[in-house]
Amino acid sequence: LLIMFPLKPTFKSYLLPVQTDLKKTPQPPIKKLEAKLLPGEIVVNEVSFVRKCIGADSSHGDLWGKLICTNFKVSFITHDALPKQRFQVANRLLGEHDVPLACVEQVVTVNDAKGKQKVLCSNQKLKFNPTELILYCKDFRIIRFRFDEAGPQSAKKVCLAIAHYSHPADPQLLFGFEYVGKQNYGSLGERVNGVDPGGGLQMPLFDRPSEWDREIKRTGAAEWRVCSINEGYVVSSSLPEYFVVPVSLADQDLKQYLCFFTAHRIPLWCWNHPNGSALVRMASISDPLQQRKLDQRICSAITKSHPQRSDVLKSDLDKNLPNIQDIQAAFVKVRQICVIGFWDESEEKWLSSMESSRWLEYVRSFLKHSAEVVYLLEGKHVSVILQEEEDRDLSCVVSSLVQLMLDPHFRSLTGFQSLVQKEWVMAGHRFLDRCNHLKKNNKEEIINQYPAAFEFTETYLTVLSDSMWIPVFSTFLFNCSQQRTENSMDFAKSKCIPLGEEKALRFPPVWDWSQQFTSKDQALFNNPMYVGKGATCVQNGTVKSFRRTKKNYSSTLRGMPSSLRNILMDGHDSLTLTRRNSLVPWLKPDFSQIREVVESPTERFFRDWVSRPADLQGMLIPQLLPSHLALWRLYFLRWVPEASIPKGGSVTAYHKLSQLADEVEMLQSQLRQYKGATPASTPTSNPSTPSSDHSRMYFKAVSTHEPSSTPEYLSSSFPFSPVGNMCRRSILGTPLSKFLNGAKIWLSTETLANEAL
Amino acid sequence: MKSTPLLQRASGHRSTSTSRSDRSTHAAKPPFAMSSDNVAISAEFSPELRGRPKAVAKVLRDSNKEEPQLLPKESVQDMAKDVTYICPYIGALRGTLTVTNYRLFFKCMDREPAFVLDLPLGVVSRVEKIGGASSRGEVSYGLVCKDIRNLRFAHKQMEDSLIKSIFEILMKFAFPVSNGLTIFAFEYGQVYPENGWKVYDAQAEYKRQGLPNESWRITKVNDHYELCDTYPSTLVVPVNIPDEELKRVAAFRAKGRIPVLSWIHPESQATVIRCSQPMVGVNGKRSKDDEKYLQTIMDANAQSHKLFIFDARPSVNAAANKMKGGGYESEDAYQNAELVFLDIHNIHVMRESLRKLKEVVYPNIEESHWFSNLESTHWLEHIKLILAGALRIADKVESGKTSVVVHCSDGWDRTAQLTSLAMLMLDGHYRTIRGFQVLLEKEWLSFGHRFQLRIGHGDKNHTDADRSPVFLQFIDCVWQMIRQFPAAFEFNEYFLITILDHLYSCLFGTFMCNSEQQRVKEELPKKTVSLWAYINSQLEEFTNPLYVNYSNHVLFPVVSMRHLELWVGYYIRWNPRMRPQEPVHQRYKELLAKRAELQKRVEELQREERMGCPHLSL
Repeated sequence: LLIMFPLKPTFKSYLLPVQTDLKKTPQPPIKKLEAKLLPGEIVVNEVSFVRKCIGADSSHGDLWGKLICTNFKVSFITHDALPKQRFQVANRLLGEHDVPLACVEQVVTVNDAKGKQKVLCSNQKLKFNPTELILYCKDFRIIRFRFDEAGPQSAKKVCLAIAHYSHPADPQLLFGFEYVGKQNYGSLGERVNGVDPGGGLQMPLFDRPSEWDREIKRTGAAEWRVCSINEGYVVSSSLPEYFVVPVSLADQDLKQYLCFFTAHRIPLWCWNHPNGSALVRMASISDPLQQRKLDQRICSAITKSHPQRSDVLKSDLDKNLPNIQDIQAAFVKVRQICVIGFWDESEEKWLSSMESSRWLEYVRSFLKHSAEVVYLLEGKHVSVILQEEEDRDLSCVVSSLVQLMLDPHFRSLTGFQSLVQKEWVMAGHRFLDRCNHLKKNNKEEIINQYPAAFEFTETYLTVLSDSMWIPVFSTFLFNCSQQRTENSMDFAKSKCIPLGEEKALRFPPVWDWSQQFTSKDQALFNNPMYVGKGATCVQNGTVKSFRRTKKNYSSTLRGMPSSLRNILMDGHDSLTLTRRNSLVPWLKPDFSQIREVVESPTERFFRDWVSRPADLQGMLIPQLLPSHLALWRLYFLRWVPEASIPKGGSVTAYHKLSQLADEVEMLQSQLRQYKGATPASTPTSNPSTPSSDHSRMYFKAVSTHEPSSTPEYLSSSFPFSPVGNMCRRSILGTPLSKFLNGAKIWLSTETLANEAL
Repeated sequence: MKSTPLLQRASGHRSTSTSRSDRSTHAAKPPFAMSSDNVAISAEFSPELRGRPKAVAKVLRDSNKEEPQLLPKESVQDMAKDVTYICPYIGALRGTLTVTNYRLFFKCMDREPAFVLDLPLGVVSRVEKIGGASSRGEVSYGLVCKDIRNLRFAHKQMEDSLIKSIFEILMKFAFPVSNGLTIFAFEYGQVYPENGWKVYDAQAEYKRQGLPNESWRITKVNDHYELCDTYPSTLVVPVNIPDEELKRVAAFRAKGRIPVLSWIHPESQATVIRCSQPMVGVNGKRSKDDEKYLQTIMDANAQSHKLFIFDARPSVNAAANKMKGGGYESEDAYQNAELVFLDIHNIHVMRESLRKLKEVVYPNIEESHWFSNLESTHWLEHIKLILAGALRIADKVESGKTSVVVHCSDGWDRTAQLTSLAMLMLDGHYRTIRGFQVLLEKEWLSFGHRFQLRIGHGDKNHTDADRSPVFLQFIDCVWQMIRQFPAAFEFNEYFLITILDHLYSCLFGTFMCNSEQQRVKEELPKKTVSLWAYINSQLEEFTNPLYVNYSNHVLFPVVSMRHLELWVGYYIRWNPRMRPQEPVHQRYKELLAKRAELQKRVEELQREERMGCPHLSL
């Protein structure tokens, strides 16, 4: 049964130990299995008597069922239940074994009798009947099906269908159109089961001028205005319809400048520092003759918008940061190392292969560059322009990181969502063309370092990343908002869906989490440690609620000690950001020579900041030492059974914290009830038992009489579970020692005896 | 309010009189300032002060003083002005250097806030005069420290060559053993509320484990360390083996370190046994007594008909030991026993690995090749092998219900690492603060890990081949476990760092000497203070607030590079660009305080309500 795979050599590891367990001759269930379909979802092909492999070294624990390819997902329906996993986050759109087609990265078919394997692409032929199908998913899962008992022809058809639909050539094949068409617009043009798009959400989507106005007011950007020259996408297809520009630039000027910028992407305002410095992003100027003049005009306009008329610095992201091809290559390598690589082999060279993937290096370069921009805005009081060729990739990362570091508002759940909406979705990041995972990993780093400063958890970020692969949400589906509008209008026409008053099909945004998760599971997004103002402080005897208000925002930054400011004002550093602001080399332990240590103002700024206690409501600068960046383990390793720590992982701390936070919340609501009701008016109310169903915590407080203990089911993969996915060696029921690296090289009679079997 | 772990420590103090660089109180005299070069410089924001506004006035006054605040019996030996400390992060700093019989204290007043360097002399491993007089007429000295740092000073050449340089004084007091002086621990007379030497009582610990029982007895054969001078006086051996036979077994085991019980599983009766290598030699010598002895150990556990012998060494090294008369148990001679080599390298390899690690992490790390540089030190690989070995032992005992015998060559380095880590995985008691102290006292101190030789307290011979970071590795492994199980340990990272700092400081007697016999002879419990007295006098600072006491849980850490990390909070703590992570713990404590406050308010309101509305209470 040993087959080598030339295309994916590391693959052999899965196939070595396949055995057919004779003792447990499979009895394929006869009962009919039906696919669970969403509105607009149709079955393309299906095959019965399929075995989903759970362990690689035996068929023990494998699941029998039906494999279905729909226009939305690869679905596996089974009667067999996995060991009870009450903790696993259940997605309302997907079953336990389902994979959205858009999440399928690679489809590999195998015929082990013939020793053949093939990577299937769209519209390809398959010359053999597959005995096995392996799906490599973009969310790092690897799922393997065996067709030993299945009809060879239908198995083949399902494989081809999965390959075809997972890589649609035409964006309109994306399921989102069908789904939204059926879900929201009945044949009579009435909204069926209507999801009010964005209506129930308490967050700006930045698709109307008022929302930009509010953001201008919030950040105190008095000299900036909303510009609507792109209404109806008349001047640029990739710009949002409304954006913000300096007051001193008239629409007339802007229209004149437009054509000199790549893709007409003129400077867009992102954010204002309380000191008046602005963060602006723009594309490069395509006409070299105009460059100087335009630069001057733009800069002087931005200077005019600064209360102190401070300078403007331009940061060329293309020169200073890795390009997106590099980033994608690094991502592929990390995945190879984390998930696909053979456990023991990758173990030995783990650190150096992590380094050679350059993933963390890139993450760090983004963080570092962003921190340098923070220094300019915060420390030097100057405005900064982020310039990138097309202004659609790197500037999304940098601008949102800068705002996360400086503005506590964006560290709240809704704030963060509005940040992603503003800097990624509306600014035209090509979600359809790119699978840019970088941003979330970046943010994860900051979260790791300042766990209490963020309202959301890493579970939230993981789920958000996963949602990119569910093509139902408008948020991540298109390259720009214009494409979003246009495509859906076309689709509506072709399907004769009456749109009524609306311009286009309205897709639910990903931010409507109830589309995917129950409210209980959504509680996993909440960080029990989040120090929103008022979450901890009991001031003057009044208890403040957990929900924080935006008003608190600027005061903390303004309250920076003036001494720090003075130090920074005195700095004389160059006006351009240097490529590598590397650390000054220091003498070796041999004490051979004395070298003067020169500390750049930027470093001084960071060091000063590090030396004082962090104000979680103020500026946060991440640790930039490479030794302090670690892989985002939940995201990259959650499906790897061997990497899952039983009864361990940071979730055990999260569990304890959540319980306590829940208790605090309960007490607070009890107090509120006392306050709201004078004893005389509502004597019937029973304040000692407040309803706890509104709690924001996933883990509820336990009564003080019960012994507190960590649930057995917690693991470092929580709330995901690697059980049910391919693992190279079964962890079900085998002795632990078999997983330990190097077991083979140990001269143990035990090992030898096992291998002889 | 944000705080660092340093704040936690600081705020835990109950003192009113503190100096900036000295986080001590009178009740609990301090360890020493462990702050990085950066944090130590700021009087206004020094970590000891964060969140302690009351202390500020006092400190500002203190900051005008150039001398340290002295401990009891500590005395200034020399003081020199115009000494330059060449800080690898900030640059040259000119100030006053003070040397006492306990510490080195440097203070630079030119800077605002003043810069302070304060370290116990015990940390110093080597003092070197670098080069002759330079053009500027300066001589410079390098200090290599045991805690990863290197320090460099320079000062003007003495015009009168008869006057001793302060660094010569420093060398005298940094290496008291080499200079016929007493180690400061024997002078330090601080009185603590608890006598730390009473933390461990072998009889009580064995009683906790349910010993003696029908299969195991406590023998007095080593009461005067006659059977084995590196073993404790209290030993647990099989009931059926009389003391006479133990002596014959001792003859066959290196240094007489016979197999004895360290831990017994409360349910299965599977045991963890430790010993040294058998004296097999090139001729494959056998000992009927030793074979019978191991058989008896196996028989004491009815659950299994096998015995696992874990030899910590790589098989090649174990075989090479035959040339020196040692070796390993052959499976022919020991029926029903299985031998497993755990591939952990010897003290020399570990020392070299730490030396490389130091090069990679101090003072600065090379940004572009961090991971491959780290990999080339093999430090994490060694950590992994030790943890993996301990995990196999714990798994065998817990899942396999099998008794295990653990040894290396002498059974006092790798064996101590393995048994104590396995016991930490198996027994929740050792994950408490006091339990961990018991574990160290038992597996490391009483069973003769040679701390004096491995650390070289007060000894100037820094090239001694007996020095090795074996204990540091063990603490690193414990830290890795804390990372993986953040709620399973009662103690925090600061507890581990404090233990390591006082491993070198020579302030407490705990890590002095090489064996229980020597400690008794030197009357350490009478003449010195135990580290546990200091720690237990302020438990609050060392407590992990997230701790959940689930004593029955066995912890199986994932021993993979995917989860192992360099302990930056220890190895990179001197870098001023490193900020201790915003501790979850701190936040948890804040929430606890808030809960207490809310509870109080709710109770008050309930009481008011009852009084205001009598009909409700009816």
